[in-house]
Amino acid sequence: MKAILKTVSICLSILLIVACNATPDITDEMLDGDVIFDPSLYSPEDYLVSAKYPAPTQEDLEKHVLIAAHGYSASTFEWDELMEWSADSSYRISSVLLDGHGRTYEDFRASKWEDWRAAIIREFELLEDLGYTKISLVGSSTSGALLVELMQSGYFNSHIKPKNIFLVDPIVAPTSKLQSVADLIGPMLVYLEVDQTAEEDKYWYHFRPHETISELNEVIQKVRKGLEKGITVPGGTYVKSFHSKGDPTASTTSTVLIYKGLEHTDGSKIDVQLMNSDIHVFTRLNLRPSISPLELSNQLDAFTQMAKRLN
Amino acid sequence: MKNLCLLTFLFCASFSIQAQQLNVGIRLQKTQQMYWENGISAQYSFANFKPDRLFVGFDFVTSRLGTAMNSNALKQDSYIFSGSWYFFKNKPYHLIGRLNTGYLNTDLEYDIFDELPSSSFLLAPELGFNYTPEKLPIALNLGLGYYLNMQDENKTPGTFQPLHYHLTLYYKLFNQEK
Repeated sequence: MKAILKTVSICLSILLIVACNATPDITDEMLDGDVIFDPSLYSPEDYLVSAKYPAPTQEDLEKHVLIAAHGYSASTFEWDELMEWSADSSYRISSVLLDGHGRTYEDFRASKWEDWRAAIIREFELLEDLGYTKISLVGSSTSGALLVELMQSGYFNSHIKPKNIFLVDPIVAPTSKLQSVADLIGPMLVYLEVDQTAEEDKYWYHFRPHETISELNEVIQKVRKGLEKGITVPGGTYVKSFHSKGDPTASTTSTVLIYKGLEHTDGSKIDVQLMNSDIHVFTRLNLRPSISPLELSNQLDAFTQMAKRLN
Repeated sequence: MKNLCLLTFLFCASFSIQAQQLNVGIRLQKTQQMYWENGISAQYSFANFKPDRLFVGFDFVTSRLGTAMNSNALKQDSYIFSGSWYFFKNKPYHLIGRLNTGYLNTDLEYDIFDELPSSSFLLAPELGFNYTPEKLPIALNLGLGYYLNMQDENKTPGTFQPLHYHLTLYYKLFNQEK
């Protein structure tokens, strides 16, 4: 028995040393490298209402602004289609890049979930300080959890209340069963390599450091515990969660938990819509290998519903 | 719950006649990054076949007696049958190899979620440790198990996660002397 234990411990030590020295093979064609960065870093005025209109007129201030936030390891690309679709609308969109994202692998590795959230808060407060009163938020995947966390933390108690909060495939419970053990095996794996196309490599990190998966787990666990106790929606805010029935990343149970745990001040429930879809973040169709009429219809349905509440 | 207790009692009673050892107890279980699910446990070994080495058992754990108690957590119940092998014969402590199988059901409560996955077949290998004080009719059992993927991951509820650990305190209801 002693011999077995000794052999196992030696093998584990070797594995740990090898794993800790592992560095991903990052190329210049990947977002992870130091060549490609999210375009919002070069021209924030194309993405953020606060940057494009630093001195808004009264007419500007009367417009509704939707802050759109992307998911874990993604970039502003995730909401490009909504921005294009909304080009001629009466509302404006701020597509925020979560801090730690859209930069290098090392920047991503060093980021905490609070950093991810900071980008949403920063744009919200800039708009608030500029005098906007009609602000709504939409968050996909991890940003869905971040928006629920903002409600949980009582952030809106000391700020203007958002008119609407939309959640698209929010993650509170992962579909992947391995994610819940990432904290334990992560240090041995160092990073997770994702099977995605070369084109997707420009907009999503190809390598996902285990530290960031732990951060993701931390925030979704915090939100889940908050939902277990109950979270009250800011007064006057409309909330709706859209979720793909076959979501391969954010379990549909996430929306069940949000539905159970979120309540309006009058005790009523939020709105929920389950989409006939098997893709995660069904509102992003660009770069999908194939797009069915149903997926197009799902996207249009969600965009139209959001737009109706922003006009 | 009453029916379940009655069933467990009958289950135990029916085997006590031929059992070498029959233990019943309470089980406290935590799933990594998910719920506390607590419940009851029973296990026995046959008098005429590998006594005190081979145990078969039944466990019922539920989040109703754990995280879902007075909270918005989902109510989910697991029915687990197991076979265990106790290493280190005639010692007060044992290493345990166990294989669990069973069924998990999650109550999603609202009609709008009827189409969503709410159950899963369970299969989990487990490593454990048992300590049985020589002069007391109790046994303390620790286990670390991992549910294997038996279905597509998006066909099972998100509250079903693989890695779980438990502490079970048994009372030796029946222990036939050799």
